[in-house]
Amino acid sequence: MGRSQVDLGMTAAVAVLTCVAAAADAPVAVMTMFGILLFAAPGYLLGQLLLGSGSAGLERVAVAAGLVFCVPVLGGLVLYAAGVPLHRAAWLALLAGVTLICDVALFLRRRIGGPAAPDQKPAAWRLPSRHVVAFAGAAVIALGAVGVARAGVAMQHFPGYTQLWLDRPNHDAPTVTLGVDNDEGRSMRYELVLLHNKGIVAVWTLDLRNGRSWQHPTQFTGRYSVTAKLYRLPDLSSAYRYVFMNGNGN
Amino acid sequence: MAVDRVLVGHKGIVCLVVAAGAEGSRYACRMCDLVTTLGDATLTLPQENADAGADASGLAQKPDSLSVDGSPPAVAVSESSPDPMAGTARLESGTAEGTATVTVADARLASQQELPSRRGRHAAERSRQPVSPVSAVTMIAATGLLLVAFAYTAGRLGHVSSPWANRAYWAGQAFILVPTAASLLGRRVLTASETVAVITVLTVAEYFAWICYSPAAFTYPDELEHWRSTVNVLQTGGLSGANYLLPISPHYPGLEEVTSALVSVTGLSLFTSGLIVAGIAHLLFIYVLFLLFREISGSHRVAGVAVLLYASNLHFASFDSMFIYQTLALPFLGLTLLAAWRLASKPPAEPRVGWLILAVLAIIVTVATHHVTSYVLVAALVLITVAALLTANWRMAAWTAVLAVLSATATVCWLVFAAPETWTYLQPFADESLQSFRDLLAGGGADVVPISAGPLADRMLSDIAVLAVSALLPVGWWQVWRRLRHQPWTVALAIGSIGWYATVAIRLAAADGSELAGRAATFVFVPAAYIAALAVGHLASAVVRRHARAVAAAVLVVVLMLLFDGLANGWPPYWERLPGSFQVAGSERSVEPEVIAAAEWTLKALGHGNRIATDVGSYPVLGSYGDQDPVRDVAYLYTSSVYTLADASRAKLQALRYIWVDQRLSQSLPASGQYFPVDPDAGKYKHPLPAADLTKFNTQPGIDRIYDSGNIVIYQLPGASHGP
Repeated sequence: MGRSQVDLGMTAAVAVLTCVAAAADAPVAVMTMFGILLFAAPGYLLGQLLLGSGSAGLERVAVAAGLVFCVPVLGGLVLYAAGVPLHRAAWLALLAGVTLICDVALFLRRRIGGPAAPDQKPAAWRLPSRHVVAFAGAAVIALGAVGVARAGVAMQHFPGYTQLWLDRPNHDAPTVTLGVDNDEGRSMRYELVLLHNKGIVAVWTLDLRNGRSWQHPTQFTGRYSVTAKLYRLPDLSSAYRYVFMNGNGN
Repeated sequence: MAVDRVLVGHKGIVCLVVAAGAEGSRYACRMCDLVTTLGDATLTLPQENADAGADASGLAQKPDSLSVDGSPPAVAVSESSPDPMAGTARLESGTAEGTATVTVADARLASQQELPSRRGRHAAERSRQPVSPVSAVTMIAATGLLLVAFAYTAGRLGHVSSPWANRAYWAGQAFILVPTAASLLGRRVLTASETVAVITVLTVAEYFAWICYSPAAFTYPDELEHWRSTVNVLQTGGLSGANYLLPISPHYPGLEEVTSALVSVTGLSLFTSGLIVAGIAHLLFIYVLFLLFREISGSHRVAGVAVLLYASNLHFASFDSMFIYQTLALPFLGLTLLAAWRLASKPPAEPRVGWLILAVLAIIVTVATHHVTSYVLVAALVLITVAALLTANWRMAAWTAVLAVLSATATVCWLVFAAPETWTYLQPFADESLQSFRDLLAGGGADVVPISAGPLADRMLSDIAVLAVSALLPVGWWQVWRRLRHQPWTVALAIGSIGWYATVAIRLAAADGSELAGRAATFVFVPAAYIAALAVGHLASAVVRRHARAVAAAVLVVVLMLLFDGLANGWPPYWERLPGSFQVAGSERSVEPEVIAAAEWTLKALGHGNRIATDVGSYPVLGSYGDQDPVRDVAYLYTSSVYTLADASRAKLQALRYIWVDQRLSQSLPASGQYFPVDPDAGKYKHPLPAADLTKFNTQPGIDRIYDSGNIVIYQLPGASHGP
């Protein structure tokens, strides 16, 4: 393989390896690396196909980046129109397929067209070492800034809450679902009282850890009202939460 | 041998001559590291004027305005040379005194023999700048970003109102903006690559600042709308899933397709993938803008200043870069225009068919991604065509006309076959804007109540910015008329920049004029920034001989005020400048765990697509996390202590099934000035809503109380059943 075909070999390898990694259910880190490369590959190759050496520098980068986005937008529309569900397999097939087709097209063009024209060879791009240090330092600081912001989110305090609900999926359902969810940030002890037409029919004492929920189906014909009152123990003087459903005869 | 470009800077020393002939020698300017390539040619420069013009503006010249001929070894500078930064005109008008002759074939660009004293000065200046400004700018901007992140964290930890947290925020922004602006406007001329690096630093730093505001999940209402659409694509594999929050979104699925593809092939989260897509699209747009401005002006310096001015638009750091469909469509609008430029350029860009295909692809992607951007694309191409006809540039007119027809055809086809609901969606905005204009023309507009007027300092900054741009644009037009009126793109930009005054009128006339004007600024600021950049260049060079430092400082101050205005009066608004605790009827600060949990419960328990009355703060959460169909015009339900039969009838007419009540509406005034998405009393509230107005549903026969989380209660109206 000539030097001018190295990029084709690499992009083809990326396409194949990404599909293999997806089939093997590779870890997210591996899929992220291959996936990003596969995502970018069609843009680079299409840029080569469309403009060849007709553009350089920032313009080439911009065109390639634009084409990176073109492939999923236009390809997705075509797949959707063809009735293909846009799940992982479809996206992988689209990106890998476009990559391999572009590889073949570029390979043929370079073979038929002979060796790549020597003009427009990208100039050697040297970054002074002090720039490298500065940019690396800036990148570290920027990532640190995002880390600081994320730490702020993690440390931010929001008041805890407890959810109580009474859910009846439809009018004809003979039952309603009574539910409690604890998001107070700590374990909680509740007393839940169920009333039919103001008469107590059931009492539950619930010990719920933070993030846990409790549900219970209860009969409801609609001929009487049903009320649920949730007390936060040991306080039984006033309901902490309450919900109700009116009966038809109420 | 033809000269492509001449840059004169650094006290008149020729810094860069890029020759078309490949046989020339290459010389590098010691100060700015530019490379000079010339054959047997001699550059003759009027010394005094070259000196004068070099200080404040890196002077640049169009390729076809110069010629270096090997046989008569001198540079001929044409009278009509267009010079956006107003430098080369003085080269022509210079007197014979102090002429510097640079014979390239002999010496190493005069610096060693003809101009030994200059070399000393040159070297001395370089020695005073041991560190590249780009490195310094990058480090300082990163430090500024860190300060902004600390300010945000302080806000989250309860210091949202403390002066030092706000000062830290503004100090951080100053660290980002001042060095970038100073380097682009400074007396030291940056190279093209340095200019690109600086605008990259500015764009990336502001984008990271945006991420730091909400680094764990999307919280901005517009982002939540597209988050919902993308979730629908990922869950169903289809593009037509209903989005109750933004019903038009599934008809323009470009952003959702790209993001779901990235999520699918990488395994990254939707939030991370969305940030990557939006960030790259935003940076790509800025690069394309820079490329266009550079091509049009022939100067990377003008392009850099124009991009800097563009960054002062109110939505540069927010709506232009957030996870919304416009962010992805913008670079394709730019790529189409770049392709148009390349197709019509002389000599023609090769391969032409490649650029044509690129233009067609970019048009289709624009049309399939965002409605308004596709209309702006058509308008821009038509405008350039008209300008090309006016300037008798038939080649340009033909190419742009072809692309305009293609764009219009694609847009109309999309409207008819794929997104016929678009007009229904846009009509209210159009009607409102037209009505505002009619009111303004009829002398009205004075009775417009500002929904939420900002602090005095912000309003003063806004007024100064309006005045500054209003004053700069005529200066820029004057420059266009004097020197550039034969260039179709420049003429088109000059005409387009008039739209900026329309946005000012909207700002003053419409009830929510700031938002409308801000949305329009994304597009209108493209021509306005370029014309203002021409004005800045002219003003800087016009008086540069006597007051170089003062003028440079004044220009920097004005541009910085524009940039800070963009932040102060853009988004997030002043009442949510720092993230923090829950805020009643706010925006990002209304997105908190209890609200999200309640919204998720609705989806789980009630199904999706239920019509629910809610307040403005919970509205986007309910529509995104809850996948419900929140109703906007529901203020009547919350602003009376009695639930009347008329209310019940109206609720039935609106097909309401549930009423979401956040008890905190009775505890605070609305941060945004309005409690509800459509609020007749917006901006007029003096007291929080009475608690009785919110609790009245507890005693209404037939209304069930089905959910209670303390602050949030959900009521079910009679006859309601789950599902859309």
